[in-house]
Amino acid sequence: MRLLTLVTLGFSLLATVAVAQDSNGMTPRVVNEAAVPAVLAKAVDDFIRPGYLDLMETTAALSEASHLFCEEPSEESLGNLQLVFDDTVQKWSTIEIVRVGPVLEQNRFERFLFFPDRKSTGLKQVQRIIATKDETATKPETLKIKSVAVQGLGALEYVLYGTGSEELPNEANGFRCRYGAAIADNLAEVAAELHDAWEKPDGVQAEWKKPGPDNPSFRDNKEVVTGLLGILVHGVETVKDQRIRPFYAGIVDGVPDRGHPKLAVYWRSGNTMPSLYANFTALETLFNISDMRSLLPADSKSVAGSANFVFKSLVRVSEEIDLPIDEAIADDEQRAKLDFIVLNADDLLQRLNKDFGGAIGLSAGFSFADGD
Amino acid sequence: MSFARTAPLIERRSFLKMAGAAWAATLAPGSAFALARTDAVYASGFMAPDGSYGIATVTEQGEIVEKVALPARAHGMAYSVATGKSVAFSRRPGTYAMIFDPAGRSEPIVISAIEGRHFFGHGCFSADGRLLYATENDFAANRGMVGIYDGTNVFARIGEFPTYGIGPHDMTLSPDGKLLVIANGGIETHPDFGRTKLNLDHMEPSLALVDTETGALVERHTMPDRWRQLSTRHVDIDAKGRIWFACQYEGPRNDLPPLAGSFAPGEDIRFVDLPEEATIALANYVGAIAVNRAEGLVCLTSPKEGVAVTLDAVTGKLIRQETILDAAGVAASPKAFAVSSYDGDFAGRHSDVAWDQHIVRIGRV
Repeated sequence: MRLLTLVTLGFSLLATVAVAQDSNGMTPRVVNEAAVPAVLAKAVDDFIRPGYLDLMETTAALSEASHLFCEEPSEESLGNLQLVFDDTVQKWSTIEIVRVGPVLEQNRFERFLFFPDRKSTGLKQVQRIIATKDETATKPETLKIKSVAVQGLGALEYVLYGTGSEELPNEANGFRCRYGAAIADNLAEVAAELHDAWEKPDGVQAEWKKPGPDNPSFRDNKEVVTGLLGILVHGVETVKDQRIRPFYAGIVDGVPDRGHPKLAVYWRSGNTMPSLYANFTALETLFNISDMRSLLPADSKSVAGSANFVFKSLVRVSEEIDLPIDEAIADDEQRAKLDFIVLNADDLLQRLNKDFGGAIGLSAGFSFADGD
Repeated sequence: MSFARTAPLIERRSFLKMAGAAWAATLAPGSAFALARTDAVYASGFMAPDGSYGIATVTEQGEIVEKVALPARAHGMAYSVATGKSVAFSRRPGTYAMIFDPAGRSEPIVISAIEGRHFFGHGCFSADGRLLYATENDFAANRGMVGIYDGTNVFARIGEFPTYGIGPHDMTLSPDGKLLVIANGGIETHPDFGRTKLNLDHMEPSLALVDTETGALVERHTMPDRWRQLSTRHVDIDAKGRIWFACQYEGPRNDLPPLAGSFAPGEDIRFVDLPEEATIALANYVGAIAVNRAEGLVCLTSPKEGVAVTLDAVTGKLIRQETILDAAGVAASPKAFAVSSYDGDFAGRHSDVAWDQHIVRIGRV
């Protein structure tokens, strides 16, 4: 672990040197206008649209598996459904890094995943629906007008893995199962809406591909590149501050945090680390598939290399944490890997926000002009 | 230990846990502004080349006089003429503020937001400098609050009152000391979701004047229906007591909303009618505003297109539009304004730092 950290820091120094050279006048600090259209086209066509297509297909499979399970419940069909649930978490954790556009409209993000649920408000609502057998929660059309907390992945996870879920295989078309199937239908509907919105050639994809004075989102190449880098920076920030810190704060004053594993996303289904793995993989994929490296001046290409080194480390180490999250926090070796992730996520933020942002001609990545 | 000895232990503990003991050690007696010189007239937050944060005092010519490290990014600052003290607030959703004496006559005091609150990054002192007011988020209730801190007792929190709006950002004091002028940006945020804006489709921006004695609302101005996504974020006051405000627009990028305006207490707000070229240059995003009371000038800066726009405080007419790459903070200078940039420029002089969004003038102009 220590070696990993040291190696990473070594790359950090290299990146700093590269940026310092830029600011000393080797390369004018301007956005590479010629490279921007291809980068944005790849980001949209090779990452965002396929991401929503995957999500639509997986949630359709989730819906099908849910209804099949309700009709013919068994340990085997439950296992099958849970596998599709895991796959849905993977697909959502991939595309959820895109916190811009249609997913932020009409509460779609929260309807898909309501998290965090600090005071268990959502959990209590889900439990109440199950306890009272509220039939309006078993139809997608009436479920979707209920609280966002009872219609997404968190609610479905409780249905499939929470207290009482062990009875699921014992009753055909039982209330709990039908509620779960309605949630799956709802997820499929939201995913289809997202897919459709991103497929319209003159819709949101055009906003990202063709900045200009009449574009309602981006006026020029600098703004749209800031938006793209913002997806990466805010994505890393979200994983660090909103997905990891609530359940594990790292080493505070030399002492490892005892942790709050039940504040971790998807802890019931054991999907906490698989989800973080998918988040980091998605961030790395977006960075590379859109060829953001091409935005760098020739004398600063190493900035992309050093960012990639940290991306790869985070992806690898998050995959290596394979115990359930409560056990991982209690295990010295696995917890050290969590510490590594916390430290290197911070480092990655610096590389993207400051080193990369500065090198591609943005304001040293210092501000996304978001309310300061 | 530089924290005042009588500071509430729980706040010190939570702050140290957040900030790390290593940083606290840098505030050892004598290390902060101990070499203060009288030519420091501005203070501003910055980010150093290694990514660490701090605040610096700066001369009229833009030279850095001294720096002190901070554990997290700073944002707005304020200065008390009465006591000579300054304050730097952490950037939202930050939880600390540091009160310091730019002349180095006393040790800095660090305060932490109480449970259930975070700072919004701005605040001001009372006229006599004995109280510090901070814009805060009561995030469970989604309402803006003004936290009141007692400067005679190591800035212990002694009370609060509402800002009469959501998402308050900048706040200043009327010249007679009787009113707090609060820019309620109208945007809902919650620390669970970082800086994400949660209500862009139903924003409630407003400007509120609040009685400092009673906490009562004196008057409140909302934005016209057409401009409900015009977030009122920064304020300053001219020599005649007229309140100037600057906005950031959350609506479509190809709209051309009014981005600044003014009003006298008791009057309706009046938007500045900027030439289209200046509105386009401000890119729907004014990052900072400052008034030069002696010269009757108002300056707006925007980092997006990199511009500083100077207006006549009497007529509201455009006087000057300058391109300043990554324009960040602005404060009155003897003849006009000092403008800083994320790129390290301050009043035209370059330093190897990224200046943060705001500058405070230390002492009288």
